[in-house]
Amino acid sequence: MTATPGPLRIVIAEDAAIMRDGLTQTLTRRGHDVVAAVADAEALRQAVEEHSPDVAIVDVRMPPTHTDEGLRAAQAIHKEHPAVGVLVFSQYIETASAAELFASAPAGVGYLLKDRVADVSDFIDAIGRVAHGGTVLDPEVVRQLLTASRRGDTLAALTPREREVLSLIAQGRSNAAIASTLFISPKVVEKHVANIFDKLGLAPDDNDNRRVIAALRYLEP
Amino acid sequence: MMAGMNAWLREHPRQADALLAAGLLALSAGQVAAGQAGPVERVAFAAVTVLLIATVISRRRYPVASFAAAAVIAAAQIAFGMQNGGPGPVFALQPTNADLAIPVLLYTLAAYRSRAVSVTGLAICLLGSAVAIASWSPSHAAHPTYALLGAAAGLGGLTLTAWVLGDSVAYRYRRAYYASLEERAARLEAERDAQARIAAAAERARELQERRARAIDESAARLRRIERDLHDGAQVRLAALAMTLGEIKENLEQSPGDDRTLALVGTAHQNAKDTLAELRDLARGIHPPVLDRGIGPALGILAGTSAIPVGLTVALTERPSPAIEAMAYFCAAELLANAAKHSGASRVTLSVREQDCGLALSVADDGDGGARLIPGGGLAGLRERVQTVDGRLEIGSPPGGPTIVTVELPRHA
Repeated sequence: MTATPGPLRIVIAEDAAIMRDGLTQTLTRRGHDVVAAVADAEALRQAVEEHSPDVAIVDVRMPPTHTDEGLRAAQAIHKEHPAVGVLVFSQYIETASAAELFASAPAGVGYLLKDRVADVSDFIDAIGRVAHGGTVLDPEVVRQLLTASRRGDTLAALTPREREVLSLIAQGRSNAAIASTLFISPKVVEKHVANIFDKLGLAPDDNDNRRVIAALRYLEP
Repeated sequence: MMAGMNAWLREHPRQADALLAAGLLALSAGQVAAGQAGPVERVAFAAVTVLLIATVISRRRYPVASFAAAAVIAAAQIAFGMQNGGPGPVFALQPTNADLAIPVLLYTLAAYRSRAVSVTGLAICLLGSAVAIASWSPSHAAHPTYALLGAAAGLGGLTLTAWVLGDSVAYRYRRAYYASLEERAARLEAERDAQARIAAAAERARELQERRARAIDESAARLRRIERDLHDGAQVRLAALAMTLGEIKENLEQSPGDDRTLALVGTAHQNAKDTLAELRDLARGIHPPVLDRGIGPALGILAGTSAIPVGLTVALTERPSPAIEAMAYFCAAELLANAAKHSGASRVTLSVREQDCGLALSVADDGDGGARLIPGGGLAGLRERVQTVDGRLEIGSPPGGPTIVTVELPRHA
């Protein structure tokens, strides 16, 4: 699933003003509509209630305790407003938090390391995918899942290329996106995906979100 | 020989008094037999003798009463038992050798009773002696004055000698008694001093322990603040900078022309991203923010980033203090890294459970074993760190494995 063109209506929740303003300006320059930029979880809920945005970008650490307010708020939004995509971004990779987020909300969610804002187009692409019901998981989370998986033996049976493809599947990429990332044809990607699912003993699934969930369940430590 | 007998007599006062009484009895027996008197008078005389001797037996127990009894008998003897150098009207009250009991009793009084009492006794004896000599008055003697002076010197000397001997014994007793009192007082004082010193040391130890706990808590809180400041300050600014550089780079890519500027911006962009990653590792090394949510979530993330699969169990009903949580976290991080680097293990088990008044964290791997504490090494450093809060670190790692490292920590520093 790739971002469809056209302006998105976005709510930003980030307590650091410099990052809030920077994001707002960058997204506005790229033609999106930042309908609200707030600094805490409560204001975020109100803004989502008021504006019904396409997507909310949420920092994990926000006042008052600076622990996981953002994560809780993201889960609440997804429960109360399933149509609103939620992209959580965090200073640190917390695999467990990501797993929690994806367990409760299989579609229209994303979890990215805050550093990813530096690659602006990729970041905006991720926002678009989440806004349109896709799934985005930080490559670092996927890397950790692959490393820590207790199914290391089965994973070892995958070829390096298949591992690459599995990693991209887990990140929420569509076959088309995988093809363009790896510079191979969509047909070849399809063949790799079939092989991977066969080797891991998973039922093939063309739905990108369900495919992500299957991969993540499989990789659960 | 003499010294041995003296010692024996000192240790057996009853036997000594019995011997003395027997001696007096032997001296007096002849007198009872001699003299012209009827059987009744003889019996009465014997009774007075026995009474006098009895005071020797009772002298230690009743020094004053015994002395008084003897004094009364002696007074009666002076009044009724002698006159003008010869026997008096009452045969039974004639002076007898058993009167030697009187100096013995004076000695006893001086030895066992206060000075006031013994001096009174001495006065009574001297007075009695004077009266006795006066009433004896040997006018028939060839040199009455000499005889009188001789008798006075004899009686007075005997009395004074008995008193002085007794008093010196009392003096020795008193001195020994005072010495023992002084010694006891000194011992008590030394004991009190020692107890005071122990109490002071215990108080100081408690104070130092509290101070150490405060210092450890404060240091943990300070590290947490530094991480928070980095997160809210440098990290955010750097991320915003990297985002701006990323946007500039993409804009330049859209309108090609100035390749040199594009290359420079690309380098700056990459540097900013690398620095961001380094800063994140640094901040996490100072205080992983996930610790604010508890040791369980923090160890979960640690387990997730381990190079080998980790089986994690955390069973705690109560959260330890932040400083202890941080210490447990860094121990786990170091031990997991060790297992990944050195053990050759395929799997690690990390568990945290409650124990007594704290927690026990154990890291077990199925690797090659042979882990040892080397001075200056990682495990030794870890143990030193754990010991700053009175914790313990134990290693079980036989050659061939498995390796189990257990860290015990209190709930509070």
